[in-house]
Amino acid sequence: MKQKSVVSRRTFLKGAAATVATVSFGGTFFDFIFSGLSPAVAAENSTVELFRNACPRNCYDTCAILSTVQDGVLKKVVGDPASTYTRGTLCAKGFSYTRSVYSPDRIKYPMRQIGRGSGNWQRISWDEAYTEIAQNMLRLKREYGSTLPICLNKYSGNFDIMHYGIEGMLTSIGNTTRATGTPCWPAGIDAQTFDFGTIVCNDPEDIVNSKYLIIWGANPAWCSVHSMYFVKEAQQRGCKVVVIDPILTQTASKADLYIQIKSSTDGALALGMARYILDHNLYDGEWLAKNSKGAEEFFSYLKNNITLEWAAEKTGIPQHIIEMLAREYATTKPANIWIGYGMQRHTNGGQNVRAIDALAAITGNIGKSGGGAQYAQLETWGFKYHAMSQSKPANSGGKEDRAININNFGAEVLNAQDPPIKMLWIACRGPMTQDPETAVVKKAFEGMDLVVTADLYMTPTVEMSDIVLPVTTAFETPGVNVSYWHYWLSLNEQAIKPMYESKNDVTIAMELSAKLNELEQGSCTFPTSGDLQEWVGKEFSEGIYKQFGIQDWQELKKGPVKAKSGLIAWQDGKFRTPSGKYELWSAEAEKYGHFPLPVYVEEMQSTDKYPLRCITPHWKLSIHSQFQNLDWMAAVNNEPHIEIHPKVAAKYHIKDNDSVKMFNDIGYITLPAKITETVSPDVVAVYETWYKNKKFNVNYTVKAIPADMGKKATGAPGIAFHDNFVAIQKM
Amino acid sequence: MQKQLGFLVDLGKCVGCRGCEVACSNKHQLDHLQYRRIMNINKENQVLGFLSLACNHCINPECIRVCKEKCFYKRRDGVVLYNSQRCNGCQRCIGACPFQAPKVNPRTKKISKCDFCFEQLDQGLEPTCVASCIVGALQVIDIMQPIPVYAQEALPNFSITQFTKPSIRVILPRAPQCFWRKG
Repeated sequence: MKQKSVVSRRTFLKGAAATVATVSFGGTFFDFIFSGLSPAVAAENSTVELFRNACPRNCYDTCAILSTVQDGVLKKVVGDPASTYTRGTLCAKGFSYTRSVYSPDRIKYPMRQIGRGSGNWQRISWDEAYTEIAQNMLRLKREYGSTLPICLNKYSGNFDIMHYGIEGMLTSIGNTTRATGTPCWPAGIDAQTFDFGTIVCNDPEDIVNSKYLIIWGANPAWCSVHSMYFVKEAQQRGCKVVVIDPILTQTASKADLYIQIKSSTDGALALGMARYILDHNLYDGEWLAKNSKGAEEFFSYLKNNITLEWAAEKTGIPQHIIEMLAREYATTKPANIWIGYGMQRHTNGGQNVRAIDALAAITGNIGKSGGGAQYAQLETWGFKYHAMSQSKPANSGGKEDRAININNFGAEVLNAQDPPIKMLWIACRGPMTQDPETAVVKKAFEGMDLVVTADLYMTPTVEMSDIVLPVTTAFETPGVNVSYWHYWLSLNEQAIKPMYESKNDVTIAMELSAKLNELEQGSCTFPTSGDLQEWVGKEFSEGIYKQFGIQDWQELKKGPVKAKSGLIAWQDGKFRTPSGKYELWSAEAEKYGHFPLPVYVEEMQSTDKYPLRCITPHWKLSIHSQFQNLDWMAAVNNEPHIEIHPKVAAKYHIKDNDSVKMFNDIGYITLPAKITETVSPDVVAVYETWYKNKKFNVNYTVKAIPADMGKKATGAPGIAFHDNFVAIQKM
Repeated sequence: MQKQLGFLVDLGKCVGCRGCEVACSNKHQLDHLQYRRIMNINKENQVLGFLSLACNHCINPECIRVCKEKCFYKRRDGVVLYNSQRCNGCQRCIGACPFQAPKVNPRTKKISKCDFCFEQLDQGLEPTCVASCIVGALQVIDIMQPIPVYAQEALPNFSITQFTKPSIRVILPRAPQCFWRKG
């Protein structure tokens, strides 16, 4: 330690340092953290503090972060070495947090826009904002006899558990309309719910124990980069890594074997493999007899309906490759499959996931370390949801909340009747860039009396709002985070004071409640004050304490903790299906209108008019509309592009960087071409994200076509994002 | 020279996540310039990977040779450092460096560059880029010592200029076996 700074909390942290890993060079990690400060700035009498934070984004990795704060300024972030998943490192997005917190683009104070979309913003006080919002809420309640004209659209911008207080705020004013469902992953969730009873995955750190790993439609090198360490480690220990994808992704380039598949035909490949496994007696009859329901029916379906020739023709994968893959997968134990979210964004996506699950089941790979069919888990999410659980005020009208489908938000808002929707509250969400059919969403916004958006930046959604409320980043407010992939629990401490006039969403709820009650006593039940730290504590349940082996949530100040049990999914063989078994035959699926067995459902086909399938995967420098707008990300890349196969490019006389118009009957976008053999010849790829100051939004062409599944577990089917057919032309 | 620290870049491990680039900017609090950059050296469907480059702390640094104000100097461990006090912003070093390692700080108009996080080295710690690499694709090596036999000085299809004797070694990626779609 060079600097002679007053380091408060240092003594405590030294204690903590004894338990964390030291980096290989020999110094302690905490020396490393402090050494980030140049001697010049770490002058006498400056205070350097360390805080534990958690990245609250909609990401597999949900990293534990250590933040260095000097004199109240967030100077540096690193991964917390106390988490064996984060392993002391962050991704490019995570390292950019020192920029996002202090970005000059942040919304600094509440503003009112005179003319939606006009850009004519005026600064207003929080009191003015609350007054206008509260008056509108009360007026709508008077006019329509309930608060149902008020609609909330909140989703994954911040997955901190306290942020469910936004839903709580809406509950506390009465029955309201809620955008319900989830856009990203519901078809796969339903598929695994029919098969297993719910979604549970093995601890991703367990990947190192796999001897065969199929990464099926997932790209962890971009979307879960910390998992790549475990994938590479498994590979080094002799695991064969296979990637099945329509695109040669960065993950695929690090695999032992890459198999290009025709988009949306994954179920045909899985069923073809199953047929081979059946024919060659490579299935685990013992496991099936003990743990499954419907194996006989499934095998009979395979025998009568599936051939390898058919699978080869459907998928575009030569038959001998399918045979090789099936043989290797069935005979190498333990064998693991990682099922990505991309491959279920189809009209047959849920069925395809069920067919892949079936592979893991018939080979007896379920419930085993190094095995499994990994999708996601919600096992570590058993909080009290104190901030969310509010009561409705008496006599506020309406019988119950009204659910509208988040995945067809624009149309559902426009169609809502008795009463119509007149006010939108948008938080942790960017429908104007992230929802399909942007033009319809815009129309829905235009019909509102009032649109309120709480956000960090001037996004296209904010641009279509009447009032914007500045919110805090994770570093400016306390919270608690878990992942839907790994099994760590991380506290998020308040590291710095809220910037400008920004406020936490829960604070906004409290202050709005005070205003509502001032204007009409009893109109809102949300507490009008409270200490946010204490509120974090109130989220913890006995179940969470037991699962993570802690007595008190304050222990998390010493570092993140990992679940003590349940790290291998279904190890106890107690499936949560109606029969208690793994259900190859699911009566529940039948109830929701699907065939009870995992069968092949025909994929959507291109047309003469729109011959190319446009897939819109996630981009490595962003999570949906977050991060790509920051200057450090723009310095790496600031240009969207359309990836086109050389054969297709030749047909349209398109060269690298030529301007290409991509269109279908609902819209178009124009962007530069990137010619690459890594995409399939019938596919173009455009990565979805939001660029600052760019007229780019791929959702102008994406229709709100529902995926096959999602209704059971999430309330609405997913979106078949990748069943979007387009034409291209050179500009 | 007894010791020459440098970087070993394993292209077989690097996934081009840009973590080292942004971690470097985070550590040095760089506003508008980057010390480390990842070059995408993939060609069409050929998997070559990414090359993470910063200052290569050359054995024969051109920057030292061309700087009239003698701002650059080399430590005993081979790390090339820079002192901005005398810098007059002539940018001669920028023209001379084959790797574009020196950058102009737009605020001071003076030069700054990768310093190998020397104060971390002095404490026995790794530089930030190395410590931040999730997949372990970046390592510090002493190129005067025996280095892994599979590490090499050059890449196919991508030239690493050699006349300054850069202290960088690379490990080539192993491409996957690929099965492309039929029909």
